[in-house]
Formats: sequence, structure tokens, C-alpha cells
Amino acid sequence: MDLPSQLLANPDALILDLVANSREAALCALHAQLATSPAVKDAPQLLHGILERAMLAPVCIAPEVALPHARTTAVERVVLGVARIAPPGVGFDAEHPHVRLVFMVGTPKNQVEEYLLSVAAITRLLKVEGVRTGLLTAPTEAEFRALLARGAKR
Amino acid sequence: MSVASESRDLLVKRLQRLLRWRLWIQERLQLSEWQVTLLWAALAGFLGSLSSLLFSALAEGVHEVLTGSSAGVVESMRHLPWWGRILVPTLGGAAAGLVLLYGQRLTRAQSSTDYMEAIAIGNGRVPVRASLVKSAAALFSIGSGGSIGREGPMVQLAAVVASLVGRWRLFTGPQLRLLVACGAAAGIASAYNAPIAGSFFVAEIILGSIAMESLGPLAVSAVVATLTIRVLTSAQVLYKVPAFQLNSPWEMGPYVLLGLVTGSLAPAFLRSLKQSEEFFISLKLPLVARLALGGLLVGVMAIHVPEVCGNGYSVVVQILNGPMVWKVLLGYFACKWLATMASFGSGAPGGVFTPSLFMGACVGYLFGAAVHSVWPAGAMDPGAFALVGMGSFLAAASRAPVMAIIMLFEMTLSYDIILPLMLCSVIAYYTSKGIQGASLYSESLKRKAASGESTPPMPAGEVQDLMKANPPVIPPTARFAKIAQMFLSVRVNNLYVCDAEGRFQGAVSLHDIKPYLGEIDLAELVIAGDILREDFPRIGPYQTLSDALGLFLSHPVERLPVVDPQTGKLRGSVAKTDLLLALVEKRRKPTA
Repeated sequence: MDLPSQLLANPDALILDLVANSREAALCALHAQLATSPAVKDAPQLLHGILERAMLAPVCIAPEVALPHARTTAVERVVLGVARIAPPGVGFDAEHPHVRLVFMVGTPKNQVEEYLLSVAAITRLLKVEGVRTGLLTAPTEAEFRALLARGAKR
Repeated sequence: MSVASESRDLLVKRLQRLLRWRLWIQERLQLSEWQVTLLWAALAGFLGSLSSLLFSALAEGVHEVLTGSSAGVVESMRHLPWWGRILVPTLGGAAAGLVLLYGQRLTRAQSSTDYMEAIAIGNGRVPVRASLVKSAAALFSIGSGGSIGREGPMVQLAAVVASLVGRWRLFTGPQLRLLVACGAAAGIASAYNAPIAGSFFVAEIILGSIAMESLGPLAVSAVVATLTIRVLTSAQVLYKVPAFQLNSPWEMGPYVLLGLVTGSLAPAFLRSLKQSEEFFISLKLPLVARLALGGLLVGVMAIHVPEVCGNGYSVVVQILNGPMVWKVLLGYFACKWLATMASFGSGAPGGVFTPSLFMGACVGYLFGAAVHSVWPAGAMDPGAFALVGMGSFLAAASRAPVMAIIMLFEMTLSYDIILPLMLCSVIAYYTSKGIQGASLYSESLKRKAASGESTPPMPAGEVQDLMKANPPVIPPTARFAKIAQMFLSVRVNNLYVCDAEGRFQGAVSLHDIKPYLGEIDLAELVIAGDILREDFPRIGPYQTLSDALGLFLSHPVERLPVVDPQTGKLRGSVAKTDLLLALVEKRRKPTA
């Protein structure tokens, strides 16, 4: 199994039905769980990198999906955190006021290829028919993970 | 999803696919820096051959106007009355002097740099007006039958055209010098219908190196020039000669002696030209009168020996196809020597390359005839000695034996003579070198290098000397789609990323993004800052060329960003091709 498939099948952090009232609150909550991964060496720096990148240019890839990410020395391998925000979601920018799925990616500074590989894998996953809707409606964590894994296999 | 949104996605998808295909095709067809250099060399060859054709046509036109005949120079002179043989070269000299005199007004601000200086010790910028004036003057000195070759102005014009192309494309110093060298190679190839010799003439005599970095473009330029000449004219082998052969191994003995003779005479010939130049200057005559006097002296000799006029081509053909009466030939030899001294010494613009071939042919034939008279088996055919004499005299005068051997072979396509030609040329070369240090071309280069006349000098060995300003740059916020478009519009493998203040941040590699060009979502999501390589190698403007070479050896890149170490700002970029050319040049830099 390649790197993106491994990541999607076993994300470093997973939160379902996260309650948040702002983009920052959602990101901080997901980051807090992601920071428990042993691959994260400097949690504040990772958060700083992700927020800084989100301010530079939009990170949304669909009306209700965001992919905040950063290449940083704070992690020693690619890390992935996934969160599903409770309806109605949070606004990431003017064009994306109801984001409900957040894929947070941290990549080591020197791993450009891995970064592109991971980000492209996530965008492809969401194009798989039924996956995005399924992720938004999956009633249990097990079904949510199963959808991620199913998408990763394709 | 709305219909409008779906159709937009479809359009974007198609555009991305198109982009990916274009990039795939471009990558496979993408020309490397060397391939681009070869293309420019080909253009220099093409334009150089056209300028040579133009010069030839104009020179023939001037000749026809002055002599009323469209035949060869010697033939036209034969048909003129005695006073006409005096008048035409005198008038031609005066006209050349007038052109130079009035041309000085146009060229006052320009240096006298010729193509050799521009390549060997200059910056590759051949002055246009000065070259045009000199070439216009050469039309009269050559068209009127001056004892001078037309190859000099032809090469100069071809070099000027190449220099103009390079300056228009903002070439760096080493690139420009190489392109001018390509122009010069095209000029020689056009003049003698000899592409290999054209390449080696420049490589051996001017560049002093036959490294492939320079010889490759020279060869391409010379081939294109020769092809153009062959297509546009009926040019064939320059000297049609009988099938010479080595009749007996014993003939090698006289050939060795011939090498010693031509190797001794060539320095004397060069010395005499220099002394003649000094003599004419010592007369302190006005320029017009000086050139007219040179023409007058040629004209006086032409009353009885019209063969002294022109570059000597028709007489050489006659000698090679023999037989000749040795007393007549001795007269030609002596008179041609004096006539060339008169033309060259008076300052008539033109070359002495072809007159050198004339001298060699005479010496070779006379030597062969002398040997034949005492030992027939030692020199069965004096014509073969004439051919070998041409090569060896040229090798001794130009100090370029490889070029001389190749040129003689190309001009005659007589392979059977190659063994004595090689041996004789090498012996002549060493003999000449032992007698006199300077060659036909090295003297003025050394003088100019010593006086510092050539400006500006060659790169001192710092990166900034080879740096090209304003490389393609993108901001850290440039989107993936924009980055892909940039890669399509500029021919680079790495795009430099700079912040708003121009500070270098790193580079985005085409290799990294290539697999993802079809990803629509990445087009808007990913920005340059996400994928830039911060550890991309860079070099400071004041670092040495050796430092740059070290970086190129340890990183597979064609260009390095030049970054100011104090401010971190991007100053430009340096190309590996330029660096290699500069290192080749440094090895052969003439010493003052």
C-alpha cells in the first residue's frame, strides 16, 4: 500500500461531528488531536504553519470540503487529520461558508513529492462516487473509516 | 451541481488535459541549452554564407566596373593595356583609402576590434560600422586586383552578422563569443567551400581549443554555410587537381625537405609583410596616397606579370595542373611576394590567407621540379609537391597544421596525397615555430592584449561575469495553473520563487509537478509556496567559476540562481553551458 493509501486508511487523527463556530476553532480542535501523533515534533509550529498557509490562499477544494495544509519542519513524516464538522459547518472564506469536511495535512519541509502525492490522493478520494456524501452522512466512525479506506484502495 | 458548473468543470478538465499533453510533447521535444546553441550556430552559418555571397557579388561588380570585364582578375588584367594595368590597382587603392578616410568619421567612436579580437580577447561585440567601412574599402582593393585575399572581409562580415544576432538576443559573453566564432567559421567555409577547415580554422587559430563545447557549434555553422553556398551557387571543389599519388616511399625524403623549406620561408614571408607595413607607415603619406601607392606598385608589376593581381587562385590552379616552366614560376613567386608586400604593407584591407596558398604552391612546385631534375624517382610529379607545399606553407604561416591539412584535403579532395601532406605540414609547423614565435594571426592579438585596446576584457572568473539578469520568476502565491502556464511559456526546468522584495525563496521544479497536471482541484489549491524547494542550490555573484562548477557537478541543474549573500535578493542566473564555455576560454586565454 502506498503512502497516501496508508494515510487515508489510518489517519493520525479523526473527529466526527466536531462542534465549532469558526474556521480557527475547527482547525485548533483537529490540530489538538493531530498533535498527539508521535510524528508531530512541534505542535505549535504545525498549527502556525497551517494557519499561515490558510491566510495566504484558499484551501477549500469543494463547497463543503477544506484541505488545510503546510510543509513544515514540525513533522517528521506526512501526517493527516480528518474532521467532520456538525451542521451547518463553518465558514473558511466568503465562497465556502459551510465547510463540513476538513482534511488537515502536515508534510516535512523537504518532501515536495510526498506532499503533492498526499494532497492529490485526497482530492481524488473525494471524486469517487458516493464517498463525499457518505463521509458527510456516515453514522459511525467505523463506517467513516471504511469509506476512507475504500476510496484509498481505488 | 448546476449545469453551468458542470460545463465549467468539463472545460477546465479539457484545458488541463490539453496542458498536460502540451507539456508532455514539449518535454520530449524540449531543446537543451546545447541544442539551442546549435540552432543559433546554424542561423549564424546561414546568415554568414549570405553575407559572403553578397560580398563576392559586390567585389565582382566593382571589378567589372573598373576593368570592363567579368572574367577572373588575372584574365581581366591581361586584356587591359599597360597603362590600364597600372591605373586600375592605383585607382582601386585610392578608392579604398577614400572609403577608409571618410569612414573614419562614422567609426570614430568605435574600436578597431576585428572578429578575432572579439572572440579571443574581447566580449564578442564586433563593431558594425567599422566592419562595414573596412569591408567596403576591401571591395575596391580586391575588385581592382590588389594582391590580397577576399576571405578576410568575408569572414569579418559573417562575424558581424553573428555578433548582431547575439546582441539582439542578449547573449552572455561566452555565448556571444561562440556565436561570433560560428560566424567566422561560416565565413571561411563559404570562402573555400570547406566546412571542416572552416570549423578547425576558428577552433585551432582563434579559440585555441577543439573541445566539443565549441567545435560542435562551429561545425554546424560551417556545414549550414557550405550547404547554403552549394544550393545558391554552383560551387564545387575549389581546386580541381589531377589524381596525385605517392609514387614511391622514397618520395617521402624530398617531402621532409620540403617541410623544412616551407617552414623556413613562411616566417620570412610574414616578417616581410610586417616590414613592408612599417616601411609604408614610415613614408608618412596620407592614407589615400599610401593605398594608391600600394596599388601603383602592384600595377607596375602587372604590366609584365598580371598573375600578381588578385588572390592568386587561377595561377594556383595552373600550377597544380602543370606543367610549368620553372623560370616563369620563379618570376611569379618573386613578383607575387613583392605584390603582396605592397598591397598588405600599404594597408589595403583584405586577407593574406589565399596569397599564402599561392606562395606554398610556387615553393612546392619549384622544389619538386628541382628534385625531379636531379633525381626523377624522388619527385615524379612536381604538381603533387605544389599541393603539399600549399598545405605546409599554410601550416607554417598560420601555425594551425590540423586546419591546413584538412583544408588542403577539402579544397582538392585528393586523398592519395594525405601522407606526405601530413608529414610535410607538421615538419613545416615545427620548423616555423622554431624560427619565429608569432604566426599570421597571433601577432596583432598579442599586441592588442598587451595594450589593453580590446574592451572589455574576458571574464575574470567570477559568477557575475557570466550572469544573465531577469530570469523567469513567480511569487510564492502563484497558483498551480499559473505555474504550469509559466513552464509552457519559458524554456526552463525550474522556476525561481521570489517574495515581493525580490528575495529568493527557492525553486519550483517541473519534475515535481509534472504528474499532477491533470488534477483540476490542485490547479486552484496548490500555490508555489507549497511546492517550492527551499534547499535549491544557489550561488553568490562574487563566487568563483570553480565554485559554480562544483555546484553544477553536485546538482543536476542547467542553471543556478545568483543570489546576493547580503540581501538575499535574486540577481540573475548562470547557465552551465556558459560556465563550460568560459572555462574552455580561460584555458586558452592569450598572454600579453
